[in-house]
Amino acid sequence: MRASLVVHDDRRISAHVVPGAFTAAERLDVYRNTFASALTTALRLSYPAVHRLVGAEFFGGAARIYIEAHPPTGACLDEYGEAFPEFLSGFEPSASLAYLPDVAALERAVNGALHAPDVDPLDPHRLATLAEHDRARVCFAPHPSVSLVHTDHPADLIWHAVLEKDGTALAAIDPNDGPAWLLVHRLATGVEVRRLSEAAWKFTSALCAGRPLAAALDETHDFDASALLADHLATGRFVDFGLSETSA
Amino acid sequence: MTRQLPSPLLPARGGRSSIPAKAGVGLRFRHHREVLDTRPAAAWFEVHTENYMGGGTTPAALDAIRLDYPLSLHGTGLSLGSAEGLDRAHLARVRAAVGRFEPGLVSEHLSFSVGGGTYLADLLPLPMTEGALDVVCRNVAEVQDFLKRPILVENPSSYLQFRHSTISEWEFLALVAQRTGCGILCDVNNIYVSSRNHGWQASTYLAALPPAAIGEIHLAGHTVRRLRDGRILRIDDHGSRVAPEVWALYAEALARFGPVPTLIEWDTEVPPMAVLVEEAAHAAAMIGESKSGNGHALAA
Repeated sequence: MRASLVVHDDRRISAHVVPGAFTAAERLDVYRNTFASALTTALRLSYPAVHRLVGAEFFGGAARIYIEAHPPTGACLDEYGEAFPEFLSGFEPSASLAYLPDVAALERAVNGALHAPDVDPLDPHRLATLAEHDRARVCFAPHPSVSLVHTDHPADLIWHAVLEKDGTALAAIDPNDGPAWLLVHRLATGVEVRRLSEAAWKFTSALCAGRPLAAALDETHDFDASALLADHLATGRFVDFGLSETSA
Repeated sequence: MTRQLPSPLLPARGGRSSIPAKAGVGLRFRHHREVLDTRPAAAWFEVHTENYMGGGTTPAALDAIRLDYPLSLHGTGLSLGSAEGLDRAHLARVRAAVGRFEPGLVSEHLSFSVGGGTYLADLLPLPMTEGALDVVCRNVAEVQDFLKRPILVENPSSYLQFRHSTISEWEFLALVAQRTGCGILCDVNNIYVSSRNHGWQASTYLAALPPAAIGEIHLAGHTVRRLRDGRILRIDDHGSRVAPEVWALYAEALARFGPVPTLIEWDTEVPPMAVLVEEAAHAAAMIGESKSGNGHALAA
C-alpha cells in the first residue's frame, strides 16, 4: 500500500482488492486522500507563515510534491517537515520569493522549540564550584529548544508581520535588508525569536555546539561576552556543563 | 446485565484516573484553554497519544486537565498490524507518555500505518488471515508486556477488503482479545461505516464481540459521499454529529454490552466544546436508559 499512497502506483495492490461496487483505485483514493490531507495539515501547522505568504492553493501543491519526495518516517507529525526549507530553496515555482526558504528555516526552529522535550535548566550556582583556571575549558549543553538560525533575508520581521497579519509592517520591510542572526528558545511564556549581533550569534553558536568557553570567545571580538553568557544562564538556555580536555 | 470486566482491564491505579462508564469527549488543542477555564461537563477526556509526546505548553496543559478529569490515551502510530514488528523507539515514547499522564485506558487500532519505513498517516486495513492474526497478537502482547498493562484495540473503518482474507473482521478482533487478553474499543460508527461500505450486517458484528472484553465505545460523525452515478461510499471523517443510524446501533451495543465508557470524537472542523458536550449528554442519557432496564430486555 506504500506505493499506492505515496507515489500513487496501484499496480501491485489492485489484484488483491475485492472490487464490488468500487474499483480498487476508487477505494485506494480514500486512503490516499487521508494520507495527503493529514500530512498537508501537519506542514501547514508547522509552517503557518509560509502558508500565508503563498496561499492555500500554492501551499497544497508544494506540499503534495514534498510529501511524495519526503514521506514521514515517524508517527509524530509535529516533527514532520524537517526538510521543507531546503525543498523550498530548490522549488522553482517559488523562486521569485527568495526569502521564503529563510522564513521556513525560522519556522522549523520555532516548531522545534515548541515541541522540544522539557529539561530543567542548569542552575547557575553550580558554576560557582569551578576553579578559576578551569573556566576557559568549561563547555555547555544547550536546552533542546534552543537553536540558532542565520538567514540572508530579514526572516524574523517577515515572519512576525505575516503571523500578526500586520500589512503595514510587512509593506515596510525591505526583503533584501539582511542578514539576520537569530536565537530561538522556548520560554515559559512562549517561543522567543531574538535578533543578535553577528558576534553574539557566533559566540552563542560555538557554545551551543559544545565548544569550550575560551574557544567560543576566540570566535568573536569587541563585544561583552560576559553579559551575554550571564543572560544565557539566567534564561535557562543551557541544561548542563562539563570540562573539555583543552580550552581550544 | 452486570458488566464483568476481567481484572486486568481495570486500571493499575484506581481513583481519579479510572475511566467511568459515562460519556467523555475527545480533547483537541483548541479546547485546552476552555477546559481549564470553564470545566465543561464531560465525564472524561481522551487525547491522541502522538500529540503529547514532546515538551512545552501543550503537554503541560494536559498535566493540569488530568487533575480534574479522568484521561484516556488513544494511539494512532504503533501499527499493530506491521509484520516487520513494532517501532521500539515509538513504543518507548508511548510508555513515557503513559508514565507522565497515568491514563485510565490506553488504546490502539486493528490496522497498520507503517510500510517500508514510511509512516503512512492513516489506519490501513489488514488482510484478515491467520498470518495477520499471529502478527497482531504478537505485537499486542509485546505492547502489553512493555507497558505492563492491558490495552484496548479498536476496529477501524475501512474502504477495501483483500481477496485473500479468510476471517471476518469481527471474528479477528474477538480472537485478538481472546489470545492476548487485550480489551476491545468498539467503534460503533466504524462498524456502521464499514458494514455499509462492504455489505456486512452490523448486528452480526456486534453479536460476535465478547461483552466482557468491551472496555470502551467510540461514536463520531461520518460523511455520505455520493458519486455522480449514484453509488454511495461512507467516509469516517469525524466531522459532524453522530448519525441517527449510528445512535440506533449504539443502543444495540449498550443493550448487548451494558454501560460502557463512551467517547464522542470530532477531528475535522472541530466545533465549540458546547456541541461536543451536547453529543456526550445524548450518549450519557442512553447509558442511563440502558442501566434502568431497557438493556436487560434487549440483551435477554
